[in-house]
Amino acid sequence: MNAIEQVFRSAGVSGRLHVADIDGGAEVAVGADEPVVLASVFKVPLVVELHRQADLGLLDLAERVRVPAEDRTPGPTGLSAMLDGAVLSLRDLAYLMMAVSDNTAADAVLARVGLGAVNAMLAGLGLPGTRVEHDCRGLFARMLADAGVSDMAALAEASTDPAVVARLRVLSPAHTNRGTPREMTRLLGMIWRDEAASPGSCAAIRRLMGLQVWPHRLSSGFPFDDVAVSGKTGTLATLRNEVGVVEYPDGGRYAVAVFTRSHGTAQNQPRADAAVGSAARIAIDHLRARTTAHI
Amino acid sequence: MSNTDIVLAMFRLRISFLLMDLVRHLAYFVAVAEELHFGNAAARLGMAQPPLSQRVKRLEEELGVRLFDRSSRQVALTEAGRLLLPEAREIVLRVERLRDLVGGAADGAGTTVRAAVPSDLGGAVLAALIAGFRARCPGVRLSLAEMGTAAQAAALLDGGLDVGVLRHPVTASGLGFGPVLVQHPGVLLPEGDELASWSAVHLADLAGRALVLFPRESEPGLHDETLATCRRHGFAPVEVSPAANAGFALGLVLSGTAVALGPPAGVPGTVWRPLAGAPIAWRCSTAWRGEPGPHVGDFTAVAVRVLREDAGMADDAAAPARRVAPRPATGFLA
Repeated sequence: MNAIEQVFRSAGVSGRLHVADIDGGAEVAVGADEPVVLASVFKVPLVVELHRQADLGLLDLAERVRVPAEDRTPGPTGLSAMLDGAVLSLRDLAYLMMAVSDNTAADAVLARVGLGAVNAMLAGLGLPGTRVEHDCRGLFARMLADAGVSDMAALAEASTDPAVVARLRVLSPAHTNRGTPREMTRLLGMIWRDEAASPGSCAAIRRLMGLQVWPHRLSSGFPFDDVAVSGKTGTLATLRNEVGVVEYPDGGRYAVAVFTRSHGTAQNQPRADAAVGSAARIAIDHLRARTTAHI
Repeated sequence: MSNTDIVLAMFRLRISFLLMDLVRHLAYFVAVAEELHFGNAAARLGMAQPPLSQRVKRLEEELGVRLFDRSSRQVALTEAGRLLLPEAREIVLRVERLRDLVGGAADGAGTTVRAAVPSDLGGAVLAALIAGFRARCPGVRLSLAEMGTAAQAAALLDGGLDVGVLRHPVTASGLGFGPVLVQHPGVLLPEGDELASWSAVHLADLAGRALVLFPRESEPGLHDETLATCRRHGFAPVEVSPAANAGFALGLVLSGTAVALGPPAGVPGTVWRPLAGAPIAWRCSTAWRGEPGPHVGDFTAVAVRVLREDAGMADDAAAPARRVAPRPATGFLA
């Protein structure tokens, strides 16, 4: 068994991974073309489409959006956790959605850019396996219906029950926001090479991904002050995902997509979180060893 | 019969032909998708390759998408094909099951239920399970296999198994579960162990010892959950030895190499003690894929009774509700 699968196994998860050198063809793939559930990783295509629409003049990133107190999508962070009505610019909503995975901010952005536009953009970029089916609110509505509970606190507890987990359609790629590890690293490559939108917009997206606060997944695999890690996590019931880019001081930059599904149903899975970083590290070490060997 | 009735009847007939045709085409698709080779798939279906290719093509036309990428040497599933595969498999298997069911009901016999149980269920419990099922469904053959939870989940999902008795937690989309039963294991010590003089043992008392436990590959969920509970209560085993069968575990206990967790066992040379406060809960239930057939229901009813009466398990209803203290980094859609 290879070292990456060993990491997944000892963390009690099954995992899919694609790691690619952004400036060359080298890659490491483990189930990289399998459809996977994106969970909050869908916020990456969303932030790309937001900036493309700004490039086209369809919207102004400084445009103000009212987020009333009574109309919040559930979630543990950002506007989802705040109590009072707020007015924020589109780009600050994008910041909250990327830095702390704010679901209310994501739904407000998606309402502005449109689900169809996100999917058209994905098709246009040549990512046919990546699709956004619903916003966060729509996803939760599906989960509540499948779990047979009426509020989010009950859902969090019900989701540790294996019988409920088996019924959740949002854990099957066919029924929810989906992609493949390889298509995610391709999208990241386009963002880092200024191909996904205008160079200014790509820089803005890279800035947002670099501001993500979570230290426990991808970032945990690279405990080096001189290595930059940008990313977007995805968390849902048994799923622990992250896609991102790791940049070394010698200019080496690597797009990473790791999607895991735990065998257990516990909500707190620190080993699964860490496995995302460890698996990415093994893949990148492998690519870097290869590169230096060839130089 | 009015003219309208006749027309309606004809429509129904036509629809049923269409449906059967669709199911057959889906079966062809599944075979090709599993073999990724038209020749092999045709051989498996007992037909020639050209008609198989034609029918897959017709299905693609009917659905309006390409299901396979056919290069000169290789056949690969397209994205649409990958999405269709699990659904198509489900439909084909369900229709097969429907036929079996109707066939079985007409014959009154000849049906086989493929079931699996964990390897450490114990001979007496297994015998009671088989006897109970025979008494309840005299015409039905019970084909039993010994299988861990991970293998059962995989076999249930790919249709190789009708029903299983597996251990929780298991995470597999599409499985249905029977009533959940719970058991609080105690500890098996060698005779003469200093802890044998106590009526109950605290997990922390076991600190510094090795543990023999079912293998992680077969019970990934419960293995990790059990070790997490042991550590939380002060027992971090110096070594964890995987044991696939009871004899191996017993050997390690008898020799004083490790302690084992499990239900009360009256094995000479060993002493069983309950764990104070019953900190560990092992849960199990029957499981199946999709909608349970009638014999799955029968098997479940017998299994629940036998596990309760002969294996000392209890209904899980009395177990305390799981509590999830929210943390932002692990919240939904974080």
